[in-house]
Amino acid sequence: MTAVTDRQKLSYIASQAADARVNVELETEGMTLNIGPQHPATHGTLRIVAQLDGEQVIRAEPMAGYMHRGYEKLSEVRTYPQITTLVNRIDWLGSFANEVPFILAAEHLMEVEAPPRATWIRTLLFEMSRVAHMILFLGDMGVQLGAVTPVFFAFRDREFVLDQIEKATGGRFHPNFDRIGGLKDDLPKGWIESTKDSMQTVLTFCDQIEDLLLGSEIFQSRTRGIGVIPKDVAMQYGLSGANARGSGIDWDLRRDNPVGLAYPDLDWKVWTHPDGDSFSRFWVRLQETREAVKMIEQLCDGMPSGPIMAKVPRIIKVPAGEAYVATENPLGEMGYYLVSQGGLTPFRLKIRSASFNNVSIAPWLLRGVYVPDIITILGSLYFILGDIDR
Amino acid sequence: MANSPLKVTKGLFAGLGVTMRTALRTMFPKRGAKTLIPAPSKGAHTVQYPHEVDVPAPRARGVIALHTENCTACMLCARECPDWCIYIEGHKTLAPPRREGGKPRSVNELDRFDIDYSLCMYCGICVEVCPFEALFWSPEFEYSELKIADLIHDKGRLSMWMETVPPFESYEAGSEAKVLKVPDPVPRDKR
Repeated sequence: MTAVTDRQKLSYIASQAADARVNVELETEGMTLNIGPQHPATHGTLRIVAQLDGEQVIRAEPMAGYMHRGYEKLSEVRTYPQITTLVNRIDWLGSFANEVPFILAAEHLMEVEAPPRATWIRTLLFEMSRVAHMILFLGDMGVQLGAVTPVFFAFRDREFVLDQIEKATGGRFHPNFDRIGGLKDDLPKGWIESTKDSMQTVLTFCDQIEDLLLGSEIFQSRTRGIGVIPKDVAMQYGLSGANARGSGIDWDLRRDNPVGLAYPDLDWKVWTHPDGDSFSRFWVRLQETREAVKMIEQLCDGMPSGPIMAKVPRIIKVPAGEAYVATENPLGEMGYYLVSQGGLTPFRLKIRSASFNNVSIAPWLLRGVYVPDIITILGSLYFILGDIDR
Repeated sequence: MANSPLKVTKGLFAGLGVTMRTALRTMFPKRGAKTLIPAPSKGAHTVQYPHEVDVPAPRARGVIALHTENCTACMLCARECPDWCIYIEGHKTLAPPRREGGKPRSVNELDRFDIDYSLCMYCGICVEVCPFEALFWSPEFEYSELKIADLIHDKGRLSMWMETVPPFESYEAGSEAKVLKVPDPVPRDKR
């Protein structure tokens, strides 16, 4: 070991040591950030535990279960007409869409078929609940990015759609209108005319959002290339609905498996986007809203006449057997696996809701993103907490 | 970055411009920004609630009305209710015969009919299963209370809602459903 004689060399070593000490003090440390369970940007009570390194997420995990209401278990002790009012509350923004697959599953077991007029009104209200749901998403996405105006536009124009649903069913959010074998009631007079008017408002809203949000430079720089889900990953995680179509998967149950609904008679198109980022999911939902408006107009024009209820016994007993019916709900594939042993209540009802699968990709998707993008990505995935927890 | 700060600022001002235009259109619905006094409730889509009341649709499920004359205390509604919030008690009595010289009839008389609106889910199953058309929906919604126990509406209060039940609407063209009639409410002095 040589003695250090050079003063310059000595000072260099001293500075190196000082640097090392400073670096020890400034060494980055992981930080755990809890987003939720009560957070204004998460619609509901989803808790996300994110481990951060500076501004970057190392690991993020969604914690579901804060809103568990036990509908699967509860429906084992409720009769079939009572369950429709429970399943309304699963995805509360598109409530009517929740009833339809359950009713179709029960009808499949009972071998009852709803008359054509009931099927058309069902499809009509199904698409209207999709429009109401998507309008809120389109405005809500702006609020995740800090643009407050679109959400007010959304709440204003959604009210026109909800008013129509209320005029027909009696409930804005919980229609409880679908019955085994048909519908509770027929449409009131003048409803079709006012629905067409409200659909024009929705189209204007879509143009406004396209103008206000889609073309905005801020929106594009916050969403383009962020939260990219490649096609194969989307398949592996079982994404459905607009999240899958935003990743370029051309799959829509309305076209590919339209059980018991009037979709084959309509002229419409399934939109997909190849990018798979937040922007593409937004874009696909915007186009879907327009397609739904197109469908509603066709359904209004071609409404068949006839009864709205098939012959069903007064006390509903579903014969023993099992059935799985899934429909393309606003959030994605929603299915009910109904097992009956022939009694007044189901033996088991498994609810496959879209949001649970859609949010399961979050740990994969949020790895390596920056903290402000967590909210954007979750907003673009679009889940409803009631749909995750049931 | 793909987007320069200049471009992003442009987007910011474009957005603010839209907000400003809409705000002005709401405040000055008639003459644009030329008038100086804003009129918020004219161009707005909202209603200033306690002063102006928005009437819900006739089918809206606001409150359940009871037509006591039709009720036979058959308990169907209480049994079908998903959360069992209807309480019924009744007893059998003898009513005078319908025809002269006939036997007296045995009828069910209603002693108690309570609906607990703090439990009610507003699903409408009770109205639907009633075989004697004794229950009706009314779009009335202003019945909030300070105490939760006051949300239990008894027979008298439920039959008072009958006055607010609107007549059933006629149906859209092509319908084969029959339009039912809402019975006239019993006058106050005979209740």
